[in-house]
Amino acid sequence: MSNINGKVYAMNAITPMKPWKTWVLRLIFFVLGHVKSLQQDLINLSFIEFARWVVVPRAGFPQFGNGQEPEKLTYDYLLFFSNFNGTWNQYIDAFSAVLSKGLNLIWQWSEKFPGSVPVTLFKEYIGRVQFDTDYYFTAYPHATANDLKAAHAVQASYDDLRSRVNSLSDAEFADAYMSFVLQVQPNLGETGEAPVVF
Amino acid sequence: MSKLNETDIQGFVLRGYNLPYGRYILLRFENPDRARALVSKLLPIITTGQRWDNGKPQSTVNIGFTHRGLAALALPDATLLSFPVEFQQGMKKRADILGDTGLNAPARWDDVWHGNDVHAWLGINGLTATALDDCCSQLRSLFAETRGAVELAAQDAVSNMVDGQQTGKEHFGYTDGFGNPDYLGIERNSQPGHGKQLPDGSWAPLATGELLLGYADEAGELPAAPIPHILASNGTFMVYRKLHQNLATFRSFLDEQSAVYGGGREKLAAKLIGRWRDGTPLELAPDAPDPSIVKDPQRSTNFTYGADGAGTRCPIGAHMRRAHPRDAFGFNGKLIDRRRITRRGQTYGRFVPEGELASDAEERGVVFMVLNANISRQFEFVQQQWIEYGNDAKQGNDKDPLMGNHGGHGKFVVQGDRSATNPPLVCAHLPSFVELRGGDYFFIPSMTALGMIAMKLVDPR
Amino acid sequence: MPNNSGKVYGLTILSPILNDDEASPSHDLQIRSYLAGLSTGRESPFAQAPGTHLARLVVMDDVIFVGAPAVEEHLNSKYLIFESNCDPGPDGTIDSYLQGLAEYAGAHLDAIWSHCVGYPGASDRAAFVRYMKACQLETTFFFAAVNDKSVPETLRALQTQKAVADFVETHQGMQPGQLRAEFLQLVATLDAAPMPAVASATVSREMKIGGRNE
Ligand code: HEM
Repeated sequence: MSNINGKVYAMNAITPMKPWKTWVLRLIFFVLGHVKSLQQDLINLSFIEFARWVVVPRAGFPQFGNGQEPEKLTYDYLLFFSNFNGTWNQYIDAFSAVLSKGLNLIWQWSEKFPGSVPVTLFKEYIGRVQFDTDYYFTAYPHATANDLKAAHAVQASYDDLRSRVNSLSDAEFADAYMSFVLQVQPNLGETGEAPVVF
Repeated sequence: MSKLNETDIQGFVLRGYNLPYGRYILLRFENPDRARALVSKLLPIITTGQRWDNGKPQSTVNIGFTHRGLAALALPDATLLSFPVEFQQGMKKRADILGDTGLNAPARWDDVWHGNDVHAWLGINGLTATALDDCCSQLRSLFAETRGAVELAAQDAVSNMVDGQQTGKEHFGYTDGFGNPDYLGIERNSQPGHGKQLPDGSWAPLATGELLLGYADEAGELPAAPIPHILASNGTFMVYRKLHQNLATFRSFLDEQSAVYGGGREKLAAKLIGRWRDGTPLELAPDAPDPSIVKDPQRSTNFTYGADGAGTRCPIGAHMRRAHPRDAFGFNGKLIDRRRITRRGQTYGRFVPEGELASDAEERGVVFMVLNANISRQFEFVQQQWIEYGNDAKQGNDKDPLMGNHGGHGKFVVQGDRSATNPPLVCAHLPSFVELRGGDYFFIPSMTALGMIAMKLVDPR
Repeated sequence: MPNNSGKVYGLTILSPILNDDEASPSHDLQIRSYLAGLSTGRESPFAQAPGTHLARLVVMDDVIFVGAPAVEEHLNSKYLIFESNCDPGPDGTIDSYLQGLAEYAGAHLDAIWSHCVGYPGASDRAAFVRYMKACQLETTFFFAAVNDKSVPETLRALQTQKAVADFVETHQGMQPGQLRAEFLQLVATLDAAPMPAVASATVSREMKIGGRNE
């Protein structure tokens, strides 16, 4: 059992919500999904590969009969799954430092949520509602979200030069190659093993 | 925030003394009672943060303890266990986290670090070599008189001199000591580029709690601290690392690479750090050094990287840009404000000017000391994520070109443009220019706390 | 559809785990121990079947009590959570991905899901897909840093990036004619290179957790 595979960390969290509040949250998510500002902040944070929130209504847990007892719950539940790079502390620190408003908007409907500032209380809460990953797979254990973006950027420049190389004279190629190097130069970092998690 | 009580804070914490001679004495305590007697005797000579109205003193003395040292002083277990984990473990146990492996592994450190004997650190600085020696003999007679401590080793340090004049130059030839954070309440002229950047682009001091325990930090809370609070308040943590510099390797690297690099040798040297060797920041003067900027505190640290996203002025992976990324990660610097460290380094070993023969084997480097309220969040984070790794800077696994533990496998990209004097360059197979020779984590208590320790008055609640 | 973001899909599945007093060890523990021994490298079911960027399997043995005045409550079933960030079919649906799992990793899936209520087995593909979709929860909000690239495109890009970095480094200052020839050689090499393996570089590392308030 590990929450970590290579450069990614799998976080799972579950928090209870009074059912009427779920509707407020759904509305907020609907708006966020369309306003894109939260998305932009998440993109700029640049160490989250994928993240999702899933509202599970108290009657929404999959039920198959066959002797499976139905759930009798008073709360709806908010599930949060994140795939991030770097340390647990770095991740929560960053959330608290730059996304506190957005996070409060999402989690304030959960019972006992202390607010995302100050960070220590927030970390205590996350620590309490986090549950561990049994099995974690990534197709790219040696790459972070930044590494992947860099690789895609290099690929695009390479594809472009490749598509033109046959139509260029040596001199023209030298010029095009220079442009190519200037395009790819911010994106040439090695991929490899992650630092030890702490 | 009101003014800090400078008489309670060790002077070394509040300012770099800028005294040319230094000696760092490492002690082992033999017996708690005798060790406390020694601390009592030291109390009156510890240099506090009080202003020097009558000019610089002849010498200064400061003190810090490892966790083992505090245990040897027989502090209560409840207090000892309340210290942050990384301090309890000490630096050696954090080697894998810090990337102190291979050439930097503890097995290769100086002998004094091989056991677990280092209990205390005494930092002594002197205006002259004689003043330093005088102060040290006074201290040594206290060790003998109280039989409170055994001196395990003494590390001498001396600022590099050129023509008999003290310089701010470290051994690679760079002028150091421009960038250090400003903190609220510390009386000092605030300098643009020293604190944190505000959304309007102006600079403000960092929260005091990023340096001192007992004050609010940048997250709006008190930093994690041992109990009781009075033991912690006005204290801080110090990271001590002896960093050996392979000067011959560095110089031959510059020779080899500048043979193919259109920018020339000096520009290549500048690209590694982010400043020309005289200290001119590349961001402000990418083409040539400009002494007028170096001399002007309003300009020498007053720059950002946001407009140089491509790194064509200062490479994205350059030392300074990694160690203090300013606005490079967006969000008005909010992602880096809690990752700042205060540096108190001093060079050791003979300074060899360019053109004279130097060897890697000679004892030479920096006694690199960092002060921070939280070693794990500040120093360890910077060391692991920014020096030994490059993801936040979007440079993958590439390490700091100069400080990285490369062992022959390092890579550094100098981003460039189309001009003949600023071309792109990729340096591969980088050797280790800097190697670790040992060190540890120390608690630097306030004067009040030192008194409590000396008088056995530490009561966890 | 919040399950889709551009060209990637956020699949969330909760399968109830069998609650059988006779089973020893209990079914949730059997899942946990199977997962603990399952490869996360090339032998992983998610490496053998196409289309998974990142995925996790988690036994959720209960909900979490956050403290009074919230009320304490418990689940009647434990659930196996399968969270996958994957490539959907060209139509944007998850069916082809699920079919691929059943086809290439059916044995592993059976070993895991046979501890779940109502699981039909992977060999009946249609029933398998129907079951998985019956366990699926709609994602409320899905974020993907890169949402326009498939797994093969990503593996290729990582390979290209490494090759390009090496090429740039070893061809500094080369004459134009030779440079062009060597670039064509790079193109030929990359074109001929096999698709890099998924999850090829997984290494197990020691974990160091530390730092109070950090
Ligand atoms: C032998 C080792 C080292 C040498 C020779 C060295 C040299 C330098 C130089 C020349 C500067 C620029 C001058 C200035 O802005 O003050 C600098 C800045 C800096 N260095 Fe180092 N350094 C070393 C190790 C380290 C390490 C290991 C760290 C961090 C863990 C570090 C952190 C910093 C920081 C934070 C700055 C200030 C950047 C700013 O405020 O813009 N240095 N260093």
